[in-house]
Amino acid sequence: MTPAREGAKARGTRGGLASDTLFLAVLGAVGASYIALIVALLVADASFSSPGHILSALESPAIRYALRLSLISSTLTAILSLWVAVPLGYLLSRFRFPGKPLLDAILDIPIVLPPLVIGLSLLILFQTPPGRAFERILPVTYEVPSVILAQFTVACAFAVRALRATFEQIHPRQEQVARTLGASRSQAFWLVVLPQARRGILTAGTLAWARALGEFGPVLVFSGATRMRTEVLPTTVFLELSVGHIEAAVAVSLLMVLAAVIVLVVVRAWGTRETLTSIR
Amino acid sequence: MTSKKGFLLSVVAAAALIALLAWPARKGSTPTGAGPLIVYCAAGIQPPVEAAARLYEKERRVPIQLQYGGSGTLLSSIQVARTGDVYIAADESYIAIGKEKGLVAESIPLARLRPVIAVRRGNPRGIRSIDDLIQGDARISFANPEAASIGRQVAGVLTKEGRWDAFSKRITVSKPTVHDVANDVRIGAVDAGLVWDATARQYPELEAVPLPAFEGARSRVTAGVLTTSKVPTEALRFARYLGAAEKGLVCFKTAGYEPVEGDPWQEEPRLVLHAGAVTRLAIEETVAEFEAREGAKVERVYNGCGILCATIQAARGTSAVPDAFFACDVSFMEQVEDEFLPSVTLTETRMVILAAPGNPLKLLSLQDLARPGLRVGLASSEHSALGFLLASILDREGLGGAIEPNVKTRTPTADLLVNQMRTGSLDAAVVYEANASAVRGVLDVVPIALPDARAAQPYAVSRTSRQKNLAGRLLDALRSEPSRRRFQATGFRWIAGVSVPP
Repeated sequence: MTPAREGAKARGTRGGLASDTLFLAVLGAVGASYIALIVALLVADASFSSPGHILSALESPAIRYALRLSLISSTLTAILSLWVAVPLGYLLSRFRFPGKPLLDAILDIPIVLPPLVIGLSLLILFQTPPGRAFERILPVTYEVPSVILAQFTVACAFAVRALRATFEQIHPRQEQVARTLGASRSQAFWLVVLPQARRGILTAGTLAWARALGEFGPVLVFSGATRMRTEVLPTTVFLELSVGHIEAAVAVSLLMVLAAVIVLVVVRAWGTRETLTSIR
Repeated sequence: MTSKKGFLLSVVAAAALIALLAWPARKGSTPTGAGPLIVYCAAGIQPPVEAAARLYEKERRVPIQLQYGGSGTLLSSIQVARTGDVYIAADESYIAIGKEKGLVAESIPLARLRPVIAVRRGNPRGIRSIDDLIQGDARISFANPEAASIGRQVAGVLTKEGRWDAFSKRITVSKPTVHDVANDVRIGAVDAGLVWDATARQYPELEAVPLPAFEGARSRVTAGVLTTSKVPTEALRFARYLGAAEKGLVCFKTAGYEPVEGDPWQEEPRLVLHAGAVTRLAIEETVAEFEAREGAKVERVYNGCGILCATIQAARGTSAVPDAFFACDVSFMEQVEDEFLPSVTLTETRMVILAAPGNPLKLLSLQDLARPGLRVGLASSEHSALGFLLASILDREGLGGAIEPNVKTRTPTADLLVNQMRTGSLDAAVVYEANASAVRGVLDVVPIALPDARAAQPYAVSRTSRQKNLAGRLLDALRSEPSRRRFQATGFRWIAGVSVPP
């Protein structure tokens, strides 16, 4: 036993209440400092902008297009990410097989790689003969699908991580019980595992959505910064910043924050309600 | 809601989102069916280019798709993606790299840039020069020389002056683009930054401290037409529009740039080219290709250079001076050099003696042409370069008087002599190798072993031409590899880039 733990034990009941309060105060202070930082950033941003700037940003057709494309592409990316991440997360949490560490490492690549490199790699991929053949059917490079693919490549990796953790926390025992009661693996998955993973799926989905909304590096390289075509909100910020329109850049950033907060709060509220009703 | 229902809902939602994305694409397709021009544009020069592109779309109903990024980043994208029509770089050095890599064909200058020190309005720290920055304690933001042209240009000048080490130690922060530097000054993160004059003018909060000693660090915003373009004529037309004095350049001026002196806007520009008759075979195809690619009309006037020079001298100071002159020899260019910008000599061709097939009369040198009873054809010394140059050689060699009785004809161009030789009405004629190229194998071609029995062909653009850029691009076309092969196939020797003594 270390001296520190001995001391803690000695103080145990006597100073219990005071020490708990101190402990929580420290936790709260550390946590609050981060929240204060985020709020301070927003306040600083707001000082460089005004409601007028945000309104005039909203009046620009290019920015309205970017807002629309950002919301649609991020949502689509979130859905696609869940379709891939649910099966992948489930399999990774339930099975052991040779080469699993390697697979794990591969799944980390989109998280580790600098976003620009992902964009460049996608660009190169679509210039290879199979890539070009694919583009003859569905043009991707510099077109709208490239935005979704660029966002998906990165966002999905985050969704996989989140869902794998979710499925690992769901004890396989309930599934086994369901199967002993005659359910197939598929039935057990749909009826027992997925309902329990609902919150995890929601978290993974919102994580992927938020990640996709803020994605810029791969979009810039793979989709280009083309006004009214592949321009998403981060592209707008880049374009405004690159001609010195700091107010407009900040206005668009605040618009992004606003959109993200609204969507995330609504989805989480809806998700929680759904969870409650399903439990009931 | 069950899990399966949830999944089905996500499928429906995805389908609905894809439909939403596809909607504007269909609506936005052009009625003419013409695809959009893909234009890569340095992000920093977005305002004037976007304004010009919108005007062009309105006037010509050709959609322009602008794609922004750093000049260097865009160049990498072009290299990988191999698509696109026009590339507009904030600095012509990127266009030069693009040309080296075979990505950029033609280039059109748009606006000049000069380095200045940007400080906050009112210049609170009283910064007046680079020395103030080196000696003072101002916080300095500098664009990375590897990433941004302003950094590269200024670092180059300072290195040459031996001040770079002292200056670089004073740099507080390096930024990737010139606008990042200007933003630093604006926000107040630094006291001064080196930016282009045009950049500083875009920020009302900034003041520019001019750097007269940095004339050598000037640069130019330049548009390049990409070799990947499937519609080069349309791409060139847009590039010409950007560089047109009363069109794109107005947008640049409005946005605070110092525009170059551009050609006037013409949808199908017209260029008048005077060219020595001897060059016709070598350049005709190249000029025709140039016309097709540029969507331009080149009116070529081929004639003996004496006649062309007389026409140019008569037209002196009027609009009848041709936009460009491709002379048969530098001696002719010298006669009218006041009218033209400095010339570039592309080729030379040597004089030869044409003789009947098999050379039955054994004519081996100019002396042999003095043999009594020979029927000789020469080019007129007043009308053609060949005649003029040959007359001076014959005089020097003491042959002028001896050959004179044999001269049956003096023609304004050497082409006519070739025809007369073919009909058999002459025993010998002195022409250029270039004239003889078409009849090699039909007639005997005898080289003349005198070092000055040659003519060198210079190209120059008129000082008064309103289409200087277009005429300059014609020179680029004439200097291109296919053109070089055509010159060589028609009996010219390629000497472009080598200076030729008059």
